[in-house]
Amino acid sequence: MPQKEQLIAELSDLLGPRNVLTDATALSVYECDAAPSFKAMPDVVVFADTAQQVSDIVKLANKHNTPFIARGGGTGLSGGMLSVQGGIIIALNRMNRILEIDYENERAVVEPGVVNLLLTHAVQNEGYHYAPDPSSQKACTIGGNIAENSGGPHTLKYGVTSDHVLGLEVVLPDGEIIELGGVIEETPGYDLRGVMIGSEGTFGIVTKAIVRLTRNPQAYQTALAVFETMDDASNAVSTIIGAGIIPAALEMMDSLVIRALEEAFQFGFPLDAEAILIVELDGIKAGMQNQTDRILEIFKQHNARDVNYAKDDAERQQLWKARKSAFGSFGRLAPNYITQDGVVPRTRLPKVLRRISEISEKYQIPIANVFHAGDGNIHPIVLFNERDADQCERVEHVNMEILSVCAEVGGTITGEHGIGVEKMDYMPLIFSDADLQVMATVKDIFNPTGLCNPGKIFPTPASYAKLGLQPESASGGLK
Amino acid sequence: MSNAAALRDELQRIVGESGILPDAQIANYTIDGLTPKAVVLPASVWEIQDVLRFAAAQHLSVIPAGSGSKLQSGNSPEKVDIVLAMTHINEVVEYEPADLTVTVEAGIQLTALQEKLADNGQFLPLNPPYASRCTLGGIVAANASGYLRLRYGTARNLVLGLRVVHASGTVVKSGGKVVKNVAGYDVNKLYIGSFGTLGILTEMTLKLSPIPARQALLTAQFQDMQAAAKTGLSIVGSQTLPDFVNLLVNSEHAGPTLVAGFGGDAETVTWQLEQARRIMELNGAIGVKEVEGESFQKLNDAIRAFAESENESRTVIVQVNLKRTDIAEFAENVLTNNAEMLALLGSGVLYLKMEQVEGLAETLATLRERVVAAHGSLIIESAPPELKQQLDVWGPVAPRARNLMQQLKARFDERNLLNPGRFVSGI
Ligand SMILES: Cc1cc2nc3c(=O)[nH]c(=O)nc-3n(C[C@H](O)[C@H](O)[C@H](O)COP(=O)(O)OP(=O)(O)OC[C@H]3O[C@@H](n4cnc5c(N)ncnc54)[C@H](O)[C@@H]3O)c2cc1C
Repeated sequence: MPQKEQLIAELSDLLGPRNVLTDATALSVYECDAAPSFKAMPDVVVFADTAQQVSDIVKLANKHNTPFIARGGGTGLSGGMLSVQGGIIIALNRMNRILEIDYENERAVVEPGVVNLLLTHAVQNEGYHYAPDPSSQKACTIGGNIAENSGGPHTLKYGVTSDHVLGLEVVLPDGEIIELGGVIEETPGYDLRGVMIGSEGTFGIVTKAIVRLTRNPQAYQTALAVFETMDDASNAVSTIIGAGIIPAALEMMDSLVIRALEEAFQFGFPLDAEAILIVELDGIKAGMQNQTDRILEIFKQHNARDVNYAKDDAERQQLWKARKSAFGSFGRLAPNYITQDGVVPRTRLPKVLRRISEISEKYQIPIANVFHAGDGNIHPIVLFNERDADQCERVEHVNMEILSVCAEVGGTITGEHGIGVEKMDYMPLIFSDADLQVMATVKDIFNPTGLCNPGKIFPTPASYAKLGLQPESASGGLK
Repeated sequence: MSNAAALRDELQRIVGESGILPDAQIANYTIDGLTPKAVVLPASVWEIQDVLRFAAAQHLSVIPAGSGSKLQSGNSPEKVDIVLAMTHINEVVEYEPADLTVTVEAGIQLTALQEKLADNGQFLPLNPPYASRCTLGGIVAANASGYLRLRYGTARNLVLGLRVVHASGTVVKSGGKVVKNVAGYDVNKLYIGSFGTLGILTEMTLKLSPIPARQALLTAQFQDMQAAAKTGLSIVGSQTLPDFVNLLVNSEHAGPTLVAGFGGDAETVTWQLEQARRIMELNGAIGVKEVEGESFQKLNDAIRAFAESENESRTVIVQVNLKRTDIAEFAENVLTNNAEMLALLGSGVLYLKMEQVEGLAETLATLRERVVAAHGSLIIESAPPELKQQLDVWGPVAPRARNLMQQLKARFDERNLLNPGRFVSGI
């Protein structure tokens, strides 16, 4: 294809050949993110170093009518960075400079390729951190976090990425560089920064961000409680929240996760328990013990069997290690897994978890649960073998039924991982055609050619067929 | 249809007699000297849809309103035909305390909602001005907030989902009812702070907080602005977690007053008060006073009401947003202008209150230049129309962002029915 060769030649002129990958083996690294059941091969991968370069690349892409997609750490779980229609992947991991740190105003200015945890490392000696803490924080980037509006265990108390990003520099899909928001908390006009965050890389490419820094709490109290039943554990969760206690984090793991963790790492958890809760309080030391005592009382009311306290920071790290190692242990349970990401009202957790276990029974597909219980953000881990066609088909049904349950109880189909290609078929479960039409309109304003990260988020006619739905006539929607 | 009485008859067919404000009261909804032809109080979403369709057919503008506390905000509208007030759509739709969320209709008053929530020891942590009458719809549409934003954020951080009627009559929802949700675009953010220019908000789901067991504050006087601000910022940057740190300048005291408040478990509050007192005393505070209970409420009510003004009054209220470290120097400079001021120090927000006088527009324009040069913004919150004629209340928006905003408006409200001319850049 001479067109493609021409584009690659122009990209090489622009960036130098070393920053342009075209070799099939090299490209294959970029054919998926951390949800490997979805794959697509890009035509070319380029490494950008400045906003101007990103803008020039985007202009070239437009000239050649070629799709382009930003890539951060590649840890996405919904196939957001997949080049489903081929095209250019713009890798941003070299744009990883922390440009400015202003402790007095609690702000940092960073490039999009900065790895989440490294920002916290850069400010921790001064007693600060960057609050959104996805479990992938060792590898995911601030740019990817902004695109997905990521959360993490401490979202419960501190909010999601959108609550911590004040300003953005963005290369729009036509190549123009603009600034949205700023150093102050809000700027006049529609909140374009707000709608850019969580747009999954379809409204442009973030090349700089002004983020909030958060002062480290004076003290933590972290405890781990073991429960006989899932019901007890999930009722304890909504009782804590209902009692007016907002822990910094409240995480749950079920028996399958406990088993996998034990096999892999031997933390010493009882194998006959159905659930473990990890609860963390943080903040001011004075008075914290009162809150802890109230939580312990609630645990007791809900038949907690053992409660383990972290007596110092090392023990705290050890408790968290169990939670953070969970994903690393699933390989022991099955060759492949899909991480679901629904959110339900906290009071519905017992019901929803029961339904998930029924779905698992029905299709004979094991499902492990490790999740942000305090937010009602469940992560059913659907375990299977991708070489088994029959299992794969059952997994399809499992996914659909789990997400339908979330929608049915007034929840949503993704709390932090995004829609990407993975969940676009399920969007009609929670949004009407008119709702989706509004989103399509906003997308059309930012990205009128559709070249910026195409083929994501929006359901297709096939999606409706899969759900057994008729697209409503979108009459009266926005045009 | 030029005749206002005939128009009201037509509208009455849609909303019934109880849905039309009696003629004698219409003047209460005068906006910048423009008296509406009719004020409708629809009782349902269907009535809103019908009013909008009617307005579209007749080329009439529609000004969405809550209780009308913000009529003085925004640029002067191009025309004021129908005011659509939401106060009859005011139910709590869904409230499950253990979920710590609530879904309400837009016309509910904040005070009515807080009373219901208080029965369960919860509250919505928003405390904008006009405490006694503002509605949730108005608060969200204006992204209105008060000094609690330091600890709890603004509507931007608290709104989980919205139901909106677009100018075309189409009903859509954005977001959802759960505390975390990244399905599709975060369209909520566009409606929050849009001043009713993109659609009529009819229902919203919000995040709640537990009412702190104890609340108390310290006040102290300072010789000068720099010392007061430095002390305030030290408290914000300390291990305490204040609910608010406010700086007040008015005719009551010669120097600035610093007010720092704390909420939480009794013991936690005690410790924070000790810390804050120490910081104040180290920095030359005069007469540090601890305030709790009824006086706490009274003092805070007064602070909360600082940015209020009566409709059609001569008062000018200006909101300045700056980096928190730039507040003191800026404040010192404007003090000479005889303004009263309230700074929400930790949030980098400064309110100025003054009377409209000849030449004020020029003064504010100069101040705005300085603020914008420091990457801030200066917004006229409320002012008599003659000031608005001389000065855009919102200030500049960069060209490409402006273009994106104008496209949004054109696509969401094709016929420019909703609040025409009141928002930024002529939107
Ligand atoms: C083990 C594991 C645990 C995880 N835990 C969590 C968790 O707790 N919470 C959570 O929210 N997520 C979690 N995730 C998901 C994932 O880490 C997040 O979605 C993360 O934000 C993705 O960042 P990334 O840099 O890897 O982005 P990528 O995967 O590279 O890209 C993700 C999307 O962002 C776009 N993008 C990337 N950079 C930019 C940019 N600069 N401008 C515009 N668009 C851009 C891409 O086009 C793509 O659509 C987890 C993933 C794994 C593998």
